[in-house]
Amino acid sequence: MELIPILSTIILVATISTFLLAIGAYILYKVRERRGQIAVAPHEAEIRAEVVTPAGIPAPRQVEQQRPALQPIYVDRQPVIIQQAPGQSQQRVTQRPQPYTAFRQQTAVSTEQQPGQYNEAGFVQQRGFQVPRNGNQPEEAKQQKDSKFLKYTTEGYVSTKENKESGAVRWR
Amino acid sequence: MEAKQEIKRSTVVFEDHEHFEPTEDKGRKYFKRIIINGIISLFLILVIVYTLPKAVLTIKSLFEYATIVALVIFLFILLIRYFSILLLAYLYINEYTYSSPAGGYFPFVSILVPVYNEDKVIADSVKSLLELNYPNYEIIIINDGSTDKTKQVAENLVGYKKGMISDVKVSLINKPNGGKAKALNTGVKYSKAEIVLCMDGDSQLSPDCVKLAVRHFANMEIGAVAGNVKVLNRGKLFTDLQALEYIEGLNMARSAQSFVRLVNIIPGPIGLFRKKAIEEAGYYSSDTFAEDADLTLKILANGWKIYYEPNSVSFTEAPVKLQQLLKQRYRWTRGIIQSIKKHRKLMVNPSINFGDTFILWTMFYEALIWPAMNIGANLFFIIAAFAFGFSSLIFFWWAGLALLDLVTALYCVAAEREEFRLVGYSIIYRMFFILIIDICKLMSTIEELLGIKMTWGKLERVGVAQT
Repeated sequence: MELIPILSTIILVATISTFLLAIGAYILYKVRERRGQIAVAPHEAEIRAEVVTPAGIPAPRQVEQQRPALQPIYVDRQPVIIQQAPGQSQQRVTQRPQPYTAFRQQTAVSTEQQPGQYNEAGFVQQRGFQVPRNGNQPEEAKQQKDSKFLKYTTEGYVSTKENKESGAVRWR
Repeated sequence: MEAKQEIKRSTVVFEDHEHFEPTEDKGRKYFKRIIINGIISLFLILVIVYTLPKAVLTIKSLFEYATIVALVIFLFILLIRYFSILLLAYLYINEYTYSSPAGGYFPFVSILVPVYNEDKVIADSVKSLLELNYPNYEIIIINDGSTDKTKQVAENLVGYKKGMISDVKVSLINKPNGGKAKALNTGVKYSKAEIVLCMDGDSQLSPDCVKLAVRHFANMEIGAVAGNVKVLNRGKLFTDLQALEYIEGLNMARSAQSFVRLVNIIPGPIGLFRKKAIEEAGYYSSDTFAEDADLTLKILANGWKIYYEPNSVSFTEAPVKLQQLLKQRYRWTRGIIQSIKKHRKLMVNPSINFGDTFILWTMFYEALIWPAMNIGANLFFIIAAFAFGFSSLIFFWWAGLALLDLVTALYCVAAEREEFRLVGYSIIYRMFFILIIDICKLMSTIEELLGIKMTWGKLERVGVAQT
């Protein structure tokens, strides 16, 4: 037997059933509705209402941001392939990722703020993390800046900055 | 659990500014209607009597040809409608993606929560409101004379509650029962905010909902912003079909309307209004059963623009049973027809406000013409199958529509990043779900035109968030 006549019969039966179901349900709905009482709300010029509000105004408090604490984000770095002299095997060194901590200054939002314009004070959006507008970076950020450039030696990664106060003799 | 705070009670008298149209003399109205309809019918009978003897075809053939022509016209309108909406929705999404206003605008917002016998869901609604990612708002619960424990539950919620960013003031207004429109009007009058957010007591808002919607008010031409309503209680056939309908049927049309800044209905579960726009429109009216559609039309008539924000999501409980669904759609249809009737002057006179005229004709088509056409087409195929043996016609009709719905559902689900499984429902969407809805719409339209009385009704909520 061909497929189209079978499908046609199914669709036809389904359509007729839907018609009957819809009309039947509608009649049933109307019968049930008729049983309910109709109450028309009177139209009054004034509406007397009881207003329940919190008593007193709470003292303004410093509200901490409820956003989740920021976790250190580890930046994926590509493995460094050190080209060795011929005959020596290639040494694969993966740079140890440094914790990349975004910081957020806690904003003090007064709960007694008047209706009107609100500005999220003190934040400038810079490439996915926020820094204060005044540019005073905390110690953590400074440390990050210092560890941006590292030199690879036999002792591992060391800072490129010279320690001039140590007095050690350096070969030039 | 936060300790219950001290509360203060006071009695406030709100003036009812609601504007009512002067009631017409019913006897005179019906007499006028009978005369006009009689003259038109007489004219048509004369035309038939005069032209029929001159016709080459038999009456049976004429009927067949007329039906085929009607079907071709229906198909043509259907395709034009679908592709126009798809194109406008696509243009809107492009515009939204590349030129949406930036944030940084945080005016004070009052969130109005009208409740009537919502003791099961009100606590969850308020809880979702305290998790909003917005710094400057208050919550006003308006208890519209509930007869259950809503008053007690709501009183326990009053106080300064800890919000996501700042403390949020939660107030309660207990008023005698008068309907949703009056409840919202009371809230609007009590509010001192520039922007008010009106929602349903059983809805839950997404955290960024207010922040994303409010930024559009920086444009002073925008009078209101409509949010995106999504079905919360999924997992059942009816609720899944409604979830698809909200995405494919309602949100896509709203996106298309938003491209021309003429959203015709700001949904009840989430709508943000400039308070000035509501005041100018004369507040919500309780003379229709679709107070949201009525207010939207009034705001548009005053020259305000209305935008749709797809990422301001409100999750709402959809009817689970067929009876509840019919009840809801019955009210929507009759409410929309009442709104169209109320604003018929704008419909026939495009010089008052062309946008409103366009929107009213769209609503007229969607509420009255489309259901009749869809039912007529299905009936034709049933008759064609039984009387002439053309049973395969109905299959090709279904296959064509199902394909169209499938493509649209795919587009909409992808655009809204919705659940992919909903696309599967598009196979039965048109032939099963939409047919039921259209039959309900047609019945409601007939009842409305006959002037049969109706009540607001109340959908039973089970409080899915608790389960």
